[in-house]
Amino acid sequence: MSDQPIIDLSEPRLASSWSAATGSWLPAVILLLVTIVLWEAAVRIFAISAFIIPAPSEIAKSLVAQWGTLMQATLVTAGEILFGFLVSVVVGIAIALVIVRFDWLGRALYPLVVLFQNVPKVALAPIFILWFGYGLAPKIGLILVIAFFPVTLSMLAGMQSVDRSLLSLMNSVGASPTQILFRIRVPHSLPNLMAGTKIAATLSVIGAIVGEFAGASDGLGYVIQFASTQLDTALVFAALLLVSVLGIAFYYAAEILERIVVPWAPKFSQS
Amino acid sequence: MRIETIRAAGDRPAHIRHDDLISAKGVSVVMARQLILRNIDLSVPKGSFVSLIGPSGCGKSTLLKVLAGLVQPTQGSVSIAGLAPVEAARKRMIGLVFQDANLLPWKNAVDNASMLLGIADKSLSRSDLRARGQEMLELVGLGDSAHKRPNELSGGMRQRVAIARALALDPAVLLMDEPFGALDAITRDSMGQSLLEIWQRTGKTIVLVTHSIDEAIHLSRHVHVLGIKPGRITESLDIALPYPRDLSVTEDPEFVRLVVQLRTMLRSSHQPGGAS
Repeated sequence: MSDQPIIDLSEPRLASSWSAATGSWLPAVILLLVTIVLWEAAVRIFAISAFIIPAPSEIAKSLVAQWGTLMQATLVTAGEILFGFLVSVVVGIAIALVIVRFDWLGRALYPLVVLFQNVPKVALAPIFILWFGYGLAPKIGLILVIAFFPVTLSMLAGMQSVDRSLLSLMNSVGASPTQILFRIRVPHSLPNLMAGTKIAATLSVIGAIVGEFAGASDGLGYVIQFASTQLDTALVFAALLLVSVLGIAFYYAAEILERIVVPWAPKFSQS
Repeated sequence: MRIETIRAAGDRPAHIRHDDLISAKGVSVVMARQLILRNIDLSVPKGSFVSLIGPSGCGKSTLLKVLAGLVQPTQGSVSIAGLAPVEAARKRMIGLVFQDANLLPWKNAVDNASMLLGIADKSLSRSDLRARGQEMLELVGLGDSAHKRPNELSGGMRQRVAIARALALDPAVLLMDEPFGALDAITRDSMGQSLLEIWQRTGKTIVLVTHSIDEAIHLSRHVHVLGIKPGRITESLDIALPYPRDLSVTEDPEFVRLVVQLRTMLRSSHQPGGAS
């Protein structure tokens, strides 16, 4: 077990993982660049009007020209996403805990949660504006109803997949339901929960933009709507680009969080 | 049936003695309208090593769960040092080991080893628990792997941690359900040997469920053979090979004779015994 390995395999393995990493990135980057070049060329050759499809260079120009406005809007939207995401995660976890810990309440709550999941929540946006006005509150509410579900569902799945014989061990020494919940079920559910959290991060971006579409005076969603009424399609695309960057940033933030919270999860283990 | 004949002779089965740590009397288990176990009489002398062997579906695991208090017998009773199994388990008299080590992947070996003890005895401090966990890891030969997480341990090592976790309770009896069933043959042999050494050093009573004839004879003092449909003890065999035993015991002519005898018993245990 503790024998020295006769052949050191670490060097070639590292090399191959490095080439695998660049190998997986490189084709995507090349395709992206080719697409941008073709796009630029097509718009120029066919003289497509800028308010239908702006050339990438036009989008870049707009991005630079409106940088101050766009950054301000990005900050507002990022704040909504972050706040809404955190509320969704906290509420999602709380619902999952209640369902698992209080059996009868769980049986009452779970079908309703699933039922609610089938409501087209984007359609709730106007109602939230009606109730909470044009500020931060309706966006948070909308992100919450869109993003809590994957958190609740993934955590439930994790808490309910604890091995029966492990529960037998705990029961045999007289562990209380609360002890089993917090010492076994909750930590056991963390890898699942983190997977659900990543989905919630992506959905939070959608929730914020939809919330801003429905009624806002600031944020990237507002910029997109405003610019499209002005037929400033280049600005629409510039804002879209920033929304995508936000989405990717939040997703990777959730991924980093995952590595910190569950370094022991099977997907991170070396062997 | 041999055991039933003995039972008929007096109100207490002749083979149940006063120094028995575990005694099961007339245990039957019905689950989902199926008779899983029928009229089991079993006695486990204090400090002995007893194996339960039988074909798949004979209910040997269910019998172990009955002894552990995890399954309530439909009929009959079990006592562990005079206590009902559930009470005995609450008093930390029962250590359980299953086929899957079931370690907590977020805890290292030493914290896994002391995890159940921490639940059972809230008065122990973190450092008490660590010390106890470390002591048990050393007992199972994993003293220098205390800070490794389960995913850094091999299957055999994980099972050693599971044994350490059971021993940390300082139980009177160790109930083991095919603990080496998922391990390769070589690891299995060395785990069996380690278990024997642990048994001799600690003087625990061990009940082992296995489907390995060699393992049962190599390790135990008494082997009970279970038959199927319904699960019942068909025969019992005393293993007279002297302790301490090591793997060379498997070359002993007496060992070979016992293997043949046990195999014959197992073959006849495959015949359903619905009647009688």
